[in-house]
Formats: sequence, structure tokens, C-alpha cells
Amino acid sequence: MASQTPAVVMDNGTGYSKLGFAGNDSPSFVFPTAIATKGPTGGSGGSGSGRPAIANKPSYLTGGAGPGGHLSGKRGTEDLDFFIGDEALAAAAGSGYGINYPIRHGQIDNWDLMERFWSNSIFKYLRVEPEDHHFLLTEPPLNPPENREATAEIMFESFNVAGLYIAVQAVLALAASWTSSKVQDRSLTGTVIDSGAGVTHVIPVAEGYVIGSSIKSVPIAGRDITQFVQSLLRERGEPDSSLQTAERIKEEYCYVCPDIVKEFARFDRESDDRFKKHTVNYANGKTTTVDVGYERFLAPEIFFNPEIYSSDFLTPLPTIVDNVIQTSPIDVRRGLYKNIVLSGGSTLYKDFGRRLQRDIRHLVDARIKASEARSGGAKSGGLEVQVISHKRQRHGPWFGGSLLGQTPEFKSYCHTKAEYDEIGPSIVRRFALLGGPGST
Amino acid sequence: MSQSLRPYLQCVRSSLTAALSLSNFASQASERHNVPEIEAASSPEVILNPLTVSRNENERVYIEPSINSVRISINIKQADEIEHILVHKFTRFLTQRAESFYIMRRKPVKGYDISFLVTNFHTEEMLKHKLVDFIIQFMEEVDKEISEMKLFLNARARFVAESFLTPFD
Amino acid sequence: MLLLDYQNVLIESLLRDRFNGGASANIDQVVSDFDGVTFHISTPESKTKILVSLRIKCYQELVQYGAQSVLEREYGPYIVSPESGYDFSVQVDLEDLPADQEGKDDLVRRISLLKRNAMAAPFEQAFDEFHQLSEEASKYTSESAPQGIAEGGETRAIHYREEEAIYVKASHDRVTVIFSTIFREETDRIFGKVFLQEFVDARRRAIQNAPQVLFRNEPPLELQGFPGVSTSTNGEVGYITFVLFPRHLSKQRRDEVISHIQTFRDYFHYHIKASKAFIHSRMRKRTADFLQVLRRARPEAEEKERKTASGRTFKVQA
Repeated sequence: MASQTPAVVMDNGTGYSKLGFAGNDSPSFVFPTAIATKGPTGGSGGSGSGRPAIANKPSYLTGGAGPGGHLSGKRGTEDLDFFIGDEALAAAAGSGYGINYPIRHGQIDNWDLMERFWSNSIFKYLRVEPEDHHFLLTEPPLNPPENREATAEIMFESFNVAGLYIAVQAVLALAASWTSSKVQDRSLTGTVIDSGAGVTHVIPVAEGYVIGSSIKSVPIAGRDITQFVQSLLRERGEPDSSLQTAERIKEEYCYVCPDIVKEFARFDRESDDRFKKHTVNYANGKTTTVDVGYERFLAPEIFFNPEIYSSDFLTPLPTIVDNVIQTSPIDVRRGLYKNIVLSGGSTLYKDFGRRLQRDIRHLVDARIKASEARSGGAKSGGLEVQVISHKRQRHGPWFGGSLLGQTPEFKSYCHTKAEYDEIGPSIVRRFALLGGPGST
Repeated sequence: MSQSLRPYLQCVRSSLTAALSLSNFASQASERHNVPEIEAASSPEVILNPLTVSRNENERVYIEPSINSVRISINIKQADEIEHILVHKFTRFLTQRAESFYIMRRKPVKGYDISFLVTNFHTEEMLKHKLVDFIIQFMEEVDKEISEMKLFLNARARFVAESFLTPFD
Repeated sequence: MLLLDYQNVLIESLLRDRFNGGASANIDQVVSDFDGVTFHISTPESKTKILVSLRIKCYQELVQYGAQSVLEREYGPYIVSPESGYDFSVQVDLEDLPADQEGKDDLVRRISLLKRNAMAAPFEQAFDEFHQLSEEASKYTSESAPQGIAEGGETRAIHYREEEAIYVKASHDRVTVIFSTIFREETDRIFGKVFLQEFVDARRRAIQNAPQVLFRNEPPLELQGFPGVSTSTNGEVGYITFVLFPRHLSKQRRDEVISHIQTFRDYFHYHIKASKAFIHSRMRKRTADFLQVLRRARPEAEEKERKTASGRTFKVQA
């Protein structure tokens, strides 16, 4: 049966999980990667302290075996009493349930909760019998192979999935950009800028393989932009400066300008046109209006001029991207400059790609000029810089997964249950590269 | 603890303590190698007589000592096919994480459910009596865990069946 | 989550959002449901006309057992000719919805139950047949009943999955629903056995009014000689029989009973998987405990004071 059914694509991120079936152009479900369980919050699971990779004990061993545990038995049905996604947030708002986030910094931190999260995703939301479907899951770059194995252990042993493929999010984001008209050759070489709610990653990928040593992350992402908008609203003393309103304003009105000084002047000149009014509707029927001013272009500007927001992180995004590519092997740099792909919700601002491309090009051109001058007369052939924006950016990795998951050869790239039983979890350490050279 | 379990565990404990007198011993077969002799089995003169401690036909421990290493294999009690599958699942889960257990073998010796390999390097680094404690505690708890899991499974099955049939009521 | 939903959550949430004035946009989604059912939700003509199509493996059989009339009763004016590649389609026009909220909610509910309704036909037919048979049977004493009534009606087979089927058979005092199941996985098979035993025992122990449940590895009497039933008894295939008594078949109860019994297979498999997940979490906990015991064997590394050549020491900053 698994041969005809569409593959299930699940992209579990720190903030949101995207679930759906391959072949569709958008995920069927997008909800927070949150799980509400009975009793107080399980805290940080395994060993707390945030960074999962450096914790004293890897999480796949403890798996968030919280204090107390369930060894006490009782009736033994507590593990069925939980909610995920939006329902989890709602349940946690009441009393009796505590909210947990099983994924931290992109990596699965609490396997017990994640297993239940998956179980509910599959049976309640997607409504599929996992034995009938192949599954495509995603992982962050630099995910330890043990985590992959633990994922496979759950997927094959608990759920008996027909086949499993685990792909790196950045690679899928590259595949998603194939829908853009600017992309002529479907290569898996490029730089991915993935900006979600919590953190922004710049990830160079060569021929489908992530260049791990050159990855850089920027501590500025969606949440910071929202906070910045909020602080501007507060300073002005707007009637409503809640986080929700700030988020709405960010999503509806913000854009990237070519030059802030000129943009300020333009706002003063065409003030009727540029200043907006945002109406907030409350649940109780009341409404308020909030003025929307300079934050329209100032908020996304913190990517390019972080000093207006943060005092400890000061490198602009274009410089980071340029550094990342410069630290990558020299023979792939040309490809990395040529194919800079955006992914994630915080890259959706209008003209974000155009500004980024211009700024990176300035950096590159300046360097070429300097080296031409030093070489005494040699002429450089130039270097193409291209930033690709496309329609599927918001759920880039998911869409890439959907795209690759519907190809006829996808299923042959998966590891099947039979192979897993034969070889064991270590089988998932290697996957043939999907969408790489040699495939259609 | 049941009547026959205590002497059984006591016997395993003393046999293990006796077997764990290990010394560093370089390989006689190849230069600058130092391998657990019980695994290499290339020099019969350094391998001692193996020993089985058995409580009944299902539960037994097989201790294979040698000059620099001891191999301990355990047969876990499995009364029926449910316990069998649970033991299988659990030992698989553990061996999957053998890396962090230092002394666990990734594959059990044939005919047994789980094996440990203690070398002289382990006994130099770790406290010997605590290692024995670990093995004994492991044996005790594994039995407990398996029967608890079985109980859970039955309780869950009952609960699930009743919940499905209640709406018909 | 204990019981599975009867409706498809995606269709439900999507339609509810649209019906209540959600942003209009094109939809084009192919989604699956249990048992290899595929839905296609799309807006082929305009953004306000939502087409929901269903593909189900055993549609021919269902039609044979009267699916058409059940679906017509449920969806009447919304039925359109089936989209190519699908078996059944309904279309709703957002500009032509029921005026009141109740009507909208009802429509959402109906459409999200599309799979359930399609599968309901053989059950409904059997339930009707039961009423007919029981009426006839009441005219006779048990001895003098003619052959046909004592034996009951025909057996309706629904091959809803590749290797599994549901059989429904009515007689004058009961309706028998038989699920054939197969397990490819040893663990699942054994877990399944434990679960099924409890299904069989539940009625005796706790819920007297529940349907009687029987489980066996060879085809039950009702299916003997039925075409397509494998007679092999290699233990892989199991047959679970639900005997529905008249109290379950009353007009008020039947909708609920049909919805509920349909979810049996998926419910059963869901819980096998959920208990495996729970056992996994137990094992994780136990592994962590074992590791802790083992760690005790490692002596604490003593903090030796290290001195430089000149006899000064370093202090480790906390």
C-alpha cells in the first residue's frame, strides 16, 4: 500500500511544526511545536542549561526522563493525556496542564515528549496509518548522528513507518528555490539564509552537503524584530503596544528600504502616503487605532544595521554572509555567491532580497577592486552575486521536502523497515542524496 | 526478594568478585597489541574455565574469565512471548546505547540476552566492587522492569478495550 | 488522546475557517486519511467554490451496498460529478451557504465526515436488514422459522485495505461485524494479542451491555466458504468479531455505533503504537537509572593542585 500513498513530510522546528503530504504546495498543518502535559512544566527535560550539544549527558540517553518519572505506575494512562500545537497552548492557559517545548535550538531535546508529539501529529492531525506511508523528516545542520538514530528508532519501532528519509533543512530550502524563475540549473550548491523566530542561520551547502565549519548564526530573528517594533510603539506611547499588535504590524506593514536616511526624508515629504493607521480589534468588541510610522522600514533594518537594536551584536547580515562564503572552500565560492537562497518567515519583508544582494555585491566588488589594484593592472572577470527570493520562502524546508518527496525516485532513497530490521538504527547515518546529481 | 533469588544473586556476586582479578596482559600474537583475551581467544593458556550460575532453566549467568578480561552474559527470565518480546526490545534499546555503558557488549554472546565485557582497563579506572554492584543491580532491576512493563501492557490493553466498548453501552 | 476523531480534522478546520469569513485563497491539497483514503480539496473554478473529492479503495463494493443513496441523503444538492481519478465529489459555494450558523456548522460536520459516510452504507444496509428480519422472525417460533430467517442475510464484504477486510452480516437477532487483521511485525502481533484478549474479556468484566467480541485465528463460521477469505491458519491473519445486539441497532443509536465501529482498526493500531511509545519512555528512564548506577563505579577525579615550576598554583575560576 505504501507504494501509492503520498509521502508524509514533517518539518519540526523549534517554534513551529509543519506537517503535510508531499506534492502539495503548502503544509496541511502549521502549529507550535508545543506539548501540554498534565502537571507542572517538565522544566528543561534532560539536563537544562540550554545548549543541548554540550550538556553533560546527551539527550538521547536520558530523553528528558524528568524527576519522578512514570515508574510509579498508577493506572498508566497519563501518557495519553496531552495536547499538541495550538490546543496545547490553549490547555496550558487553563489550569492543570504545563507546556513543554520538546525541540530546543533546532534539536530534539526531550524524546519522550517528541515521541508523543509525533504520535498525535500522525494519528490526530494527519490521520494516516504510518505503515502505509513513507516519511520525510528534517533535521538542522550539524545534527549529531545519534539523534538521527534515535529518530529512526522511534519512527521504525514505535510507528513502523514504511520508509524514512531524513534531510537537512538547508538542503531542502535550496530545493525549494527551484520554483523561482531565476534558478536555471537545479543545483544543490548555494548559501541558505534561514531566519525563523529565534535565530538566523547562514549555511553554505555544496553539492547537497553542508559545509559545517562555515556555518554562522546571527542572534537576530523574528522575535527581535517584534520586540523592536514593540519598543518603538512604547516610546511613542501608542494606546496598544502589546506583543501581538507589534507582531501584526511587523507582518503587515514592514518592508526593507534601500537607504534609511533617504527613507526618513521620504516619510517626512509624503507623510500621508507613508504613515499608516493600524486598527486593533479586541475580543470584547472594542477597537483602537495605532499609528504606524518609521518602524515600517526601521524594524527589518536591524538585519543590516544591528547597532540600532542591539549593543552586543554589531555585524550586519550581508557581512556575515560574505564571511561565511569566504571561509568556505575556494572552489565552491562562486556557486555560493550565485545562489543565495532565503528561507523562513523573517525573510519575507518586501525587498529584503534586493537589499541583501546589493549590500553583498558592494562588499564583493570592493574586494575585487582592491585586489585588482594590488595586482597592478590585472582585470578580474567579476563575480556574480544573486539572492533568490521565491514564493515558497515561508515554509522553505517543508516545501523542498514536498517537492522531493513526490518525485518517483524518492521512495528508493528511503530506508525501509526491512532494511532497518536488518542493519539497525545505524542505517540512517547515511542517506543517498536526494535531488543531487544523477536524479531527475 | 524471593527465597531463591537472594542466594542466586549472592552466588553471582561472589563468583564475579573472584573472576574480576585482572591484570594487564599484552597480546602474545601481535606486537604492541593489547586485546581482551577472552574475545581474541588466540591463547588458550590465558583463558580460564567458564562458569555458569543458574537459578532455573531460564535464568542463568555465564561468566567467562581470562587473564585480562571477563565476559559476563545474562539470560533474563522470559516466561511467555510477551516477556520475550519485551526483553528483546529492552536489550536492543540498551545495546543501542552500549557506548555510554563502557562495559556493555554491543552483541550478546550466542544463547544469551545481554553480555558485558570487563577488561583490566575498566577495573583500573573504576571501583571493582561497584562494577559488581552494577551487574547485580542490573539483574535485579531488569526483571522488575520487564514485569512492570508487562503489567503496564495488560493494564493499558484493558483500559483501551473498555474505553472503546463503553460508548456502545 | 484516547478515542480517534470520526471526522477529518483538516477538512473540518479548513471549511470552518472559510465558512466563517476566512481570507479567500486558492486551495489545492491532496491529503490522506486512514485506510488509504485520499481527499482532494481544491478550488478549480473560483476561490469561492470548494470542491472536496474522495478516493477510496473499495468504492465499487460500497456502491454495491448502497453508498450512493447514503451519500445522496447526506450531501444531496452539493454532489457534483466525480473529479477524474476520484470516486465521489461534493462542491460547496461560499456565496451560497446556509444562512444561519447552525446550518453552516452542520455542513462542515457533514463534509468532514465524508469518509465515514461512504463507509457507512453497508452497515446501514445490514442494520435495516436486521430490523426487517427481526420483524419477520417475530412471526414464528424459533423452531418453525423458515431457513432464510434463521440463517440471516448475505455477508457484505468491504475490502477496505489491501490485506484486510470488514464483513457485515445481519440476522434476526444481531448484526455481526468481522474485521480481519494482519500484523507484519512480531511485536505488534504480540501486543495485538494482549489487546484483543482484553477486548474479549471486557464485556464479561465491566461493560455488560457492550457488543460481544470474539477473536480467533481461523475464519469464523459466518465466513466459512465465503469467497476471498483465506482459509490458511498460519496465525498471521486474525478475525475479530463484534456481535451487535438489538440495543445497539436502534434508530437513535445507529449513527453513533456505525461511526464508532468504523474506527476500530485504526484505534487498535494507534493504541499499540502509543503503548510502544510509552514503553520507550520507560526504557529511557531505566537506561538513565542504570547509567547512574554505573557512574558510581567511577571514582571521583581528585582535584590535584598543579604547581608551576616556581611553585605557584593556578586557581580554577568558577
